[in-house]
Amino acid sequence: MIELQNVSRLYRSDEIETTALHNINLTIRQGEFVAIMGPSGCGKSTLLNTLGTIDRPTSGAYLFNGVDLAKLSEAKLAQHRARHLGFIFQSFNLVDDLTIYENIELGLLYRQGQKGSRRQAIETAMDRVGIAHRARHFPHQLSGGQQQRAAIARAIVGNPDLILADEPTGNLDTENGAQVMDILKGLNASGATIIMVTHSPSHADQASRRVDILDGQLVASVAQML
Amino acid sequence: MLRSVLIAFWRSFTRHPLYGGLNLLGLSLGIAVFIALSLLVRFETGYETWSPERAKIYTVGTRYFFPGMTDEVRIGGMGGLTEELKASYPQLVTVRDWSNPVTVHKGSEVYSEQIELVDPEFLTFFGMPMRAGDAATALNDPGSVVISEEKARKYFGTVDAVGKTLTLSDAEGRKPYVVSAVIRDLPENSDLKSGLLRRLTPQRTAMETDTWHHWGSVQLWAFLKFDTPAQAHALQAQLDAFTDRQVGNNFGPGVKGSSLMKLVLVPLADVHLIDPKQKAAIVTLGLVGVVALVLALINYVNLATARAGLRAREVAVRKTLGARPSALRLQFLGEALLTLLLAFIVGLSLVELTLPLINAAGGLSLALDYTKDGIWLAGLLGVVLLAGLVAALYPAFALSAFKPAQVLASSRTPAGGRLGMRLREGLVILQFAAVVMAFTLMLGFIKQIEHIQSADLGFKRDGLLLVNSIRDVNINAAQREGFQAAVRALPNVTAVSIANAIPGDQNTVNNSNIVLPGQRDKLTESPTVNWSVVGPGYFDLIGIKLLAGRYFDPRFAEDQTWVGDKAEPGRVTNVVVSRLTVQRLGFKTPQAAVGQTARFSDHTVRIVGVVEDARFYHPSEPIPAKLYMFDAHVAYAAVGFVRYAGVSESVMRERLRKVWRQVAPDVPFEVTSAYENLDKYYKPERDRSNLFGVGAGVAALIGCIGLYGMAAFNTSRRAREIGLRKVLGASRGQVVRLLTLQFLRPVLIASVIAWPLAWLALGQWLSQFDDAIGISPLFFLIATAAALAIALGTVGGLALSSASTEPGKALRHQ
Repeated sequence: MIELQNVSRLYRSDEIETTALHNINLTIRQGEFVAIMGPSGCGKSTLLNTLGTIDRPTSGAYLFNGVDLAKLSEAKLAQHRARHLGFIFQSFNLVDDLTIYENIELGLLYRQGQKGSRRQAIETAMDRVGIAHRARHFPHQLSGGQQQRAAIARAIVGNPDLILADEPTGNLDTENGAQVMDILKGLNASGATIIMVTHSPSHADQASRRVDILDGQLVASVAQML
Repeated sequence: MLRSVLIAFWRSFTRHPLYGGLNLLGLSLGIAVFIALSLLVRFETGYETWSPERAKIYTVGTRYFFPGMTDEVRIGGMGGLTEELKASYPQLVTVRDWSNPVTVHKGSEVYSEQIELVDPEFLTFFGMPMRAGDAATALNDPGSVVISEEKARKYFGTVDAVGKTLTLSDAEGRKPYVVSAVIRDLPENSDLKSGLLRRLTPQRTAMETDTWHHWGSVQLWAFLKFDTPAQAHALQAQLDAFTDRQVGNNFGPGVKGSSLMKLVLVPLADVHLIDPKQKAAIVTLGLVGVVALVLALINYVNLATARAGLRAREVAVRKTLGARPSALRLQFLGEALLTLLLAFIVGLSLVELTLPLINAAGGLSLALDYTKDGIWLAGLLGVVLLAGLVAALYPAFALSAFKPAQVLASSRTPAGGRLGMRLREGLVILQFAAVVMAFTLMLGFIKQIEHIQSADLGFKRDGLLLVNSIRDVNINAAQREGFQAAVRALPNVTAVSIANAIPGDQNTVNNSNIVLPGQRDKLTESPTVNWSVVGPGYFDLIGIKLLAGRYFDPRFAEDQTWVGDKAEPGRVTNVVVSRLTVQRLGFKTPQAAVGQTARFSDHTVRIVGVVEDARFYHPSEPIPAKLYMFDAHVAYAAVGFVRYAGVSESVMRERLRKVWRQVAPDVPFEVTSAYENLDKYYKPERDRSNLFGVGAGVAALIGCIGLYGMAAFNTSRRAREIGLRKVLGASRGQVVRLLTLQFLRPVLIASVIAWPLAWLALGQWLSQFDDAIGISPLFFLIATAAALAIALGTVGGLALSSASTEPGKALRHQ
């Protein structure tokens, strides 16, 4: 499904050049649940952002179902994200001024050719993460766990092919973290491909594969028995 | 998408009431000023739009080039002008309008009115809206009168007045006239609002044989109609030659008529604002409206870009969810459009609510009529939306350009980069430059208006009543003398006189040239003097100071003027002149002029006295060089002067009315005070200054709103920094200073920009006054101090509350 070939990402400022990713080669198949691990500043988030097409590689190719995304225009990439991707963030990133329902609806707003009832899709997504009773609330009225579940609902409402989760449990306590992991595993079990950045070894252990990164380079990619 | 726009728009008010409220208030205020001043400009430029023929009609104006006189275009021409024009150009379509005073009799009551003596084609020429009667024939019969709906209601209690009789007295005596038609009341913005119209007959013009064909006089309005502007231009090109031909040697041997006066065809649409000063005032007020709108839009851009930072995360999320930049721009422009629409509605409501106040402050009669003004309002809305959307492009592009990966990786709110910061600071500077400039101008306006209202005019204006009804055509010599004698006997009256040298009254103005022996008698070279005839005791009464010689004295037979009499040949008439006349004649001192003779109006005059200059007319008009003649029994265009003391004006007026009732019951009593008469010159300046003040005040308010919004945004952005500074030991005072000083800088820079501009603008405005105040540096300092105080007041409170927050709380702030 995904193939990164010699992907590098450099950040240049006036005086300093930083290599965030260095010659990354990585293949991810449909239905995998990949956990990316590594110390702070090693390039995990850059890798995830690159996979999520909100950051472009400086060099190398990024094939998604055989299409090289590195060559697409901004507009095409936006279309790609709307159709194929779902994002989950450590700090939830719900829009403060929108209700939970409206936040989840955002996940459908920019999709072209959305079939079926939008309302039904949103309700289904809310039911899957158990947040339906909070539909009319604003994010600040919810606990962290509830907010993250709402963010997951937003990520899955359009049935994306790939879910990208950037430390989804980083801001949560153990119990809520466990709940989020359960939801992600459930989604994976029902066919979704998931790539998750995490600091937590126990959460990483729940993925089907673990990829370790150090100083922008891929140091290990290990399949795990669940 | 539409739903998303609507939700964001709605939430901007419900979730951020301060931001939403400030944004809406600033925009609405700016739009309100823009609408109100657009109304004013439309009113002032819309004179005579009621006439379907407006575009084809021209008025004759006259420009004079006499030494010592201004050469602006005066609307009107001599009585016989159209007759002479048609003799040369028979194809011309013309009508005349000669406004005359008339007395209307209703039972035993008498009313003073103006009547328009016009040609019979007058109504059809203008396409006058008729209520009843036939426009084509209504004025054919000299025994008919055409009246407006308003006068019909006044005199008959109904608009169905056709066939009824109205008794009028004027120069042709007292006669009954049959109402042949009723015209609809013309809108407020018309200089042709005529209540009574009658045919101008050859019998009437025959009564004016002396003046009717007197080249150089201005007696009536003459209108011409052309099918195309080219025809008007063609005639205009021939008017100098025509003037030269017709004037002949009337202005002296060898003096070409066109070297002293030019006839100008003025399009009817331009007549009302023919005075360049008035036009400039209207253009200025129109500009204030545009500036207010621009300031409000600047506010909008400032607040929107500031908030863009706060919305950056939302933008990033939307982008990760697949929103294209174009979709985001559309979203933000959609929100801007809704905000502008709402602000327009609020602004319009503000105008509706405050229109009575604006009218009172500006001496106006502006009104909004949605049935008639729909298209105009839609046009204004279009302008506002267009300008607003152009302004909204920047925040829309700035917002949609955020890079999601960067925004999501940072915990700090982006400020829109260095460019965004610079832009916002630049816009605040621009706003405050406008505020400082407006304040400076306001101070200058107020001081100058105070000055013209209190300046020494060269005569005593308090305790002076002017009885205008004395000049009514139906008042005879016995009544004039009888009234004066009876008033003299009233308690509290200190002096009574009669004269046509009247403060604040330019109904009759005479100018002629004066020539010393040995000088060339040429209108183009010798000084022009404005001359008047005064009665016994005039100078003492009015308080014009004697500089040399003596005032008039009835005991000297040679003091008596020839005006109104046939003077015996060779007779020398004594005159009194003003200081300026003495200067123009070239005498070194007033004393040197006393006893000198000169040629004046084909007579020999001897200067027996020199008096101080007195400002009787508009403060922008130069004081004319003056020549006074004496008449023991002045009749010509003279009004009564009554000086009183020790009693209120209203009591004095009532006593005069009672005397008048006994002396002349058939003529309406009309009295004004010298204050009232002069105030008509000051009032327009005051009104415009008031309007400017309202505009400037609102502009300042908009500036405050903008500054407050900026400060609020900035302090919230810097909450963590402030917390950190406090942890490191900064005191509350230091933090307040840090936050406020940052906003004082733009105000100071704004002042530096505003000062020279304000100096130029104020100098330009003051240059129209003959007696102008000097520009004081205090104006600039006070304006800047006021702007600084406003800025400090606006930002200080916010800074204080932010500096008082506990550092721990501030550091937790996201």
